[in-house]
Amino acid sequence: MTPMSIFLTTIAILVILYVLISIRRNKLSPANSFIWIVFCIILLVLSIWPASLDWLANLLGISYPPTLFLAIALVILFIMNFIQSKKIEDLQKKIIDLGQELSIKKDDNNKK
Amino acid sequence: MKNCGDKMASPKVLIIIPAYNEAKNIGPVLESLKKDVSFADILVINDHSTDNTKEIVEKNGVKCITNIFNMRYAWTIQTGIKYAKYHNYDYAIFMDADGQHIPNEAVKLYDAIINTHSDIIIGSRYIKKTGYKCPFFRKIGTKFFAGLVRLFTGKKIADPLSGFQCINKKVIDFWSKCGNYPEYPDASLIIEMILRGYKITEVPVKMKNRESGASMHSGIWKPIKYMTTQFYTCIVTFVKYIGKRRIK
Repeated sequence: MTPMSIFLTTIAILVILYVLISIRRNKLSPANSFIWIVFCIILLVLSIWPASLDWLANLLGISYPPTLFLAIALVILFIMNFIQSKKIEDLQKKIIDLGQELSIKKDDNNKK
Repeated sequence: MKNCGDKMASPKVLIIIPAYNEAKNIGPVLESLKKDVSFADILVINDHSTDNTKEIVEKNGVKCITNIFNMRYAWTIQTGIKYAKYHNYDYAIFMDADGQHIPNEAVKLYDAIINTHSDIIIGSRYIKKTGYKCPFFRKIGTKFFAGLVRLFTGKKIADPLSGFQCINKKVIDFWSKCGNYPEYPDASLIIEMILRGYKITEVPVKMKNRESGASMHSGIWKPIKYMTTQFYTCIVTFVKYIGKRRIK
């Protein structure tokens, strides 16, 4: 294993452990942890068996395999960002709705 | 044309005034409204102002709801729409607190919605010369979005950026439940309502320039953000309704 592989494997294992600890402490729901675990497993496989990266790059016609690694990371981060964006939007709508309801209800209560 | 300005009770009308730090302007607006539009209830939605807007409104004996946090213009308006829905109002009129909208012109909007049976009446500065001095960039923006509304809906709306509007119960009902009420409820919302089959009519009204303080579109960054967001939202709204037009 190259020093780079060791570094990436360590990072992946640490992130997996951190995600699992967060789930145990109820800081992260299992549903939200899924994409992080998948991301770390892909990182783990690619760093333990660098040949798999070469094989996949060859399959996709990419001449410089590390580029594929960056491309995979980018796509995963893009998807995660999009999911988060949708969630933030959903939460924003709920907060505004709650705020409006509360402002009106508070006024009704003051009247009583 | 029947004039409904002096009408008492029957249809319940609510004037919704969103206000953020309008202590300097709101007093005369309310005094004038109480005198000229006596048939309507007035509701000021204080968007968590840091000045004494709330105290001035209450001193004038006008109902004031304070948002529990600053929600900005559109969602403050929507708080008022929800209030109108909960209290079963038949019509709602939106007015600015900065003195730009002349209170007795609200009567024109109300008369028009009764006489034309429209769903939305827009108080327009541009269908008749009214002496309103429009800032240059605002004029360009208005013309641009008027063109966009015409392109996407085929309907001519001269002042799609006017916030001086009157809506009926159907629209109150729809907007109070609207989870996607836009951040800038102007041209894109007009496009959406036309594509949904609602009837929109424009009525010429006089307007003044802001009495004091800064507009929510002042500065450099805010107008740029407004133009790009509004332009993008107009396009997305049009795309959203391709193939499902006039769904009302």
